Amino acid sequence: MKKLTSVQELFDFRQRVLSEKDIEYDKPTLVICAGTGGQASGANDVIRVIKRYILERSLQERIAIRITGCQGFCEMDPFILVQPGRQLYPKLRMEDIPLVIDSAVNGYVAESLIYKDPRVNKRYHNQKDIPFFKKQTRTILGCNENLDPIRILNYIELDGYAAAEKVLSNPDSEWIIDEVQKSGIRGRGGAGFPTGKKWEFAHASGRDNEQKYIICNADEGDPGAYMDRSLLEGNPHAILEGMLIAGVAIGATRGIVYVRSEYPLAIKHTLIAIRQARDLGLLGENILNTGIDFDIEIFRGAGAFVCGEETALIKSIENLMGEPRQRPPYPIEKGLWGHPTCINNVETLANIPVIINKGGKEYAKVGVPGNTGTKIFSLVGKIKNTGLVEVPLGTKISEVVYDIGGGPVGSAKIKAVQTGGPSGGCIPAEKFDLSIDYDSLTEAGSIMGSGGMIVMDENTCMVDVAKYFMNFLKDESCGKCFTCRKGTQRMYEILDDISKGKATLEHLDLLEELALVVKDTTMCGLGQSASNPVLSTLRYFRKEFERHVVDKRCDAFVCKDLVGAPCQSACPVGTEAWRYVAHIARGEYEEAYQTIREANPFPSVCARVCHHPCEEKCRAGTSGGDPIAIRALKRFITDRIEPSSYKPKRDVWTDGEPPKVAIIGSGPAGLTTAHYLSLKGYKITIFETENKPGGMLYCAIPSYRLPKEVIDKEINSLLDENITLKCNTALGRDITVDGLFNDGYKAVFLALGAHKSKPLRLENENVEGVFPSIQFLKSCNIKNQQLARGKVGVIGGGNSAIDAARMAIRQKDVESVTILYRRTREEMPAFSEEIEAAAQEGIKIVTLVTPARVIASNGHLSGLECIKNELGDIDSSGRRRPVPIQGTEYTVELNTLIVAIGEDTGIDAIAPARMSRIETTRWNTVKVNPRTLLTNRPGVFAGGDVVRGPNTVIEAIADGKKAAGMIDRYIRNEQLDGPSETCIPRIYVEPSIAEEEITSGKRIETQRAPAEWRKRNFAEVEVSLSIDEATCEAKRCLRCDLEFTQPKVEIDEHVTTGVKVQ
Amino acid sequence: MITLTINGLEVSVEKGTTLLETANFYGFPIPTLCHMEGLTPYGACRLCVVEIGEGPNARLVTSCTYPAQEGLKVRTASSRVVKARRMILELLLASCPQSKTIQDLAAAHEIRQQRFRQEYEDCILCGLCVRMCEEQMAAKAIGFRGRGQNRSIGTPFDIKSEECRLCGGCIYICPACQLRCTYTDPEKAICGGCANLAPPCLEIDKFDNMMCYMEPCVACEIVRAPRDKGGK
Repeated sequence: MKKLTSVQELFDFRQRVLSEKDIEYDKPTLVICAGTGGQASGANDVIRVIKRYILERSLQERIAIRITGCQGFCEMDPFILVQPGRQLYPKLRMEDIPLVIDSAVNGYVAESLIYKDPRVNKRYHNQKDIPFFKKQTRTILGCNENLDPIRILNYIELDGYAAAEKVLSNPDSEWIIDEVQKSGIRGRGGAGFPTGKKWEFAHASGRDNEQKYIICNADEGDPGAYMDRSLLEGNPHAILEGMLIAGVAIGATRGIVYVRSEYPLAIKHTLIAIRQARDLGLLGENILNTGIDFDIEIFRGAGAFVCGEETALIKSIENLMGEPRQRPPYPIEKGLWGHPTCINNVETLANIPVIINKGGKEYAKVGVPGNTGTKIFSLVGKIKNTGLVEVPLGTKISEVVYDIGGGPVGSAKIKAVQTGGPSGGCIPAEKFDLSIDYDSLTEAGSIMGSGGMIVMDENTCMVDVAKYFMNFLKDESCGKCFTCRKGTQRMYEILDDISKGKATLEHLDLLEELALVVKDTTMCGLGQSASNPVLSTLRYFRKEFERHVVDKRCDAFVCKDLVGAPCQSACPVGTEAWRYVAHIARGEYEEAYQTIREANPFPSVCARVCHHPCEEKCRAGTSGGDPIAIRALKRFITDRIEPSSYKPKRDVWTDGEPPKVAIIGSGPAGLTTAHYLSLKGYKITIFETENKPGGMLYCAIPSYRLPKEVIDKEINSLLDENITLKCNTALGRDITVDGLFNDGYKAVFLALGAHKSKPLRLENENVEGVFPSIQFLKSCNIKNQQLARGKVGVIGGGNSAIDAARMAIRQKDVESVTILYRRTREEMPAFSEEIEAAAQEGIKIVTLVTPARVIASNGHLSGLECIKNELGDIDSSGRRRPVPIQGTEYTVELNTLIVAIGEDTGIDAIAPARMSRIETTRWNTVKVNPRTLLTNRPGVFAGGDVVRGPNTVIEAIADGKKAAGMIDRYIRNEQLDGPSETCIPRIYVEPSIAEEEITSGKRIETQRAPAEWRKRNFAEVEVSLSIDEATCEAKRCLRCDLEFTQPKVEIDEHVTTGVKVQ
Repeated sequence: MITLTINGLEVSVEKGTTLLETANFYGFPIPTLCHMEGLTPYGACRLCVVEIGEGPNARLVTSCTYPAQEGLKVRTASSRVVKARRMILELLLASCPQSKTIQDLAAAHEIRQQRFRQEYEDCILCGLCVRMCEEQMAAKAIGFRGRGQNRSIGTPFDIKSEECRLCGGCIYICPACQLRCTYTDPEKAICGGCANLAPPCLEIDKFDNMMCYMEPCVACEIVRAPRDKGGK
């Protein structure tokens, strides 16, 4: 390349390059993303394979390749983009590449490899239609896919250096600075100071002919942010052009790119770019004979986050320790070596050529007032489409997270977004309709920062997030200011204590106070924003902190010292699942039963119907494998060991007559309370409305899931001499709360359950043939009636809908059973194994349909009018709302309709509660203090479904256990509420030595009776595991408990063989 | 002359005067720890913060480094300032409780306890010794090393300094009353007169009325006493 010696020569050169561009690009081009992210995903291998393939088949004339920097769609790396058709082939394996090349050469689309959106199962033939790209405005980042960063000619083909030409042909600072000010661009490094103003000050400062500097701050230190890296790697000439224009505008003759050493590819590309620009004559002395000097050099950082702060950065370039200093004086007046220095961010400088080319006013049309232009964000974390995203300022957070980002990865809902890196704060999901601009974010307690956006879901612990950032900041603080150095250390200390359950509520207040003082008194930006992660998480997620401190629990299951073994923590009654699994592995079935029974008085019941929250959190499952089949193992044990083998410790009431306690309701909550109080020596009377005890276990759960004999056996083992059961006695009708107290009962426990189905509120709902699900189930279970006939429809998607459907199909007059659910199958709340079993039994499941009208003839059900749904916008739960599609109504012929959309506690139960002056909520549940289960009436406690609304068996049992403890303390006049303990394993069970290697890591499949057989009767469907199966499964357990219980092994240094176990 | 308002009082000072000097001149007390007249201000301890400006833009700055500006409004004891000072003193007590200077400062602000985990460090990294050595004694033998938690003061690579003239200025000025070098090995220490009980003044035998700057180091008394008993 010949060196250009005048502005006119530059113009001619550019025109020539632009005109030759089309000739070269008539053949298809394979564009490969080879930024650092792309290379890490294997782009270099892809390039090698492509080159070899092309050479082997002599395709050089028919296809070209272009190797680019980061294109932003990092989740899909390694991918190939085929120009000019813009087909995107993501996540390629080496064997896929020949097909891609072939399709490009021959002009067709390789359907099997083209980008497919998994959410809607749709293929996209053009990159610009892909949802990730559609909502972006890729003014700056979009150039990356069109040029090879180490070819200056590519840059010129995209109108590169046109802005520089404009500036050099009229190097007058006034109009340049004016355009930048008109554009309204604010510094993209984080502070958001208007760039035009900064340049104005820089231009005006200093004496005549004083040396001035322009520094490009590429010390991108925020964890998770890599926008600047991608710009420097992918399009370094844009930054050089920006710096040249800045130099002319403010009168600087030296430019420095301060880039962190951790970016070797960026440094390499920038060096090449500088050399090329110099060769062409665009940098150096007397550029294009205009008399303007401007040259750029690179300065490498040395690994300190604090050197991203401008005064520390300057000190670093001056070869001193990177410590910030007080401002004033600002670097604009006194900067590098004491001279005026203007420091701009990489992205800001990349925008400058665009502003000069378009004109400031045109540029300002993008964005919102006061926040113009686009910004590049690095969208990372628990999001489907991780990558770099460029949107106009003013875009809503929800658009970026759901529309562009693709929503959460996995089933957990998105909880918050952290913006601005360690200096920023968290924005909770409720505020996702906030517009992304400097002012809104600051008001919400965060900052824009350099553009990092970390998405967090329900499995992220906010205490852990604050702790992580504080750990980073305390390491990166320069240490000069006492409050920053000691403040970040102490804040980390307190957060560490909170995450380990060693803190108190006073610590939370201290943390907040300290954070505010650190924010106030430190000198530089690092210290001033160091408190942001803490203050914003405390502001929006204080409940999580309180849960860690008061209850000593981490609900996201992250803080190890509070989680202990996740199976135990997840269990509402704290069953030591790890312990009985360990015993099963060792063949110790009696001990296993003892472990289960100690925590849970209904082991056989739970072994069949529990919704196993333990398995959801099992580490074997969450770390990528299959969770241990804990419930099946429990079933294995309860099938083998008799309940009578468990002999609990019994107390005898020593102080005179044992007090009487009344329990209303003999469901799992009531019976559990009765049992534990009886162990303490109290005299209990249980009052039950139905003619048999068991509550929902008896009424609602079908016998093919939970046989009646199992319930009876378990209940009989709990009833003892201290407990009197009075059936056929209803609250309100036969007994009252006042009456009970008058009879000498010292406390009353309400465990009435939730026995009413929610009505659909449709026309004709009360005709014959339409049954609320609870009524239908009770008729089957208690009265042995078979109410279903002919074509049966079941509305709902929860467990009671599935139960009703599976009950119906077993009834002899039934022709077919169809479940109608308004959302999608994946969103059905019922247990997936139940849905699977229902489908096996021939039950049809129709999704995305809502009932509109019940059609009746002669007072009897004849059909149901339904309307089809489609999934619409995301609602507050993070799921897409079902929206009826107009004009898609159709009628389904039905003889029986079961309405199973949810349960309620029901007026019948609540009315007597209200009459007894017990406070209820607007959801018709009894109101209690959640920590003590006490209602507003002294001595009256409540728990189970009557408080929670329809819920699970194990939660009711947990309430019962807690209530027993509270009632005991109440009667003894002790304080009800007390400090909690961490729920971690404390007992050591030696691991069994595996004789052979367990080769299969797959979870055992619980056997079920064949579908055809089970449809014809109500016998139990699930079969218990065999001894081999159970032992195999138990040995898969990762033994998360050993970390806490294993005795310390002391290595005896004087003994050369063996270790001494202490 | 620059006119500004301090605690509601309008004052005039010469250009280049810091807010701390202004306040001291007019009798408004501001606590300091890392400040020493004669040494350049550093702004490390943050105790001398004052509130400047008004409304939402009001902020705290260290008065020892901030130059007086025309029309500035300064408050030396607003509630925000006092809250900050009290927390800083708590943090100081939590780190270095054995220093009399820090104890006196805390007592003056009626702080009797601190809520953090107690540590016993002997250096608060105020930098007085560094500045003393560099500016007053023109030796520049010691300086800051490291960042954050690993920040410390000492000689380059902990090698015995050839610049150090054993003047003891660093010891004299240290508010924590501890020496930076706490080596027990006399060879490595700059002056060797800290953690051991042998008197640092090696020539004590030769001089009767030697003036000792190592107050309250009583090592020589402990050593001298038996000799005295036995007669000189």
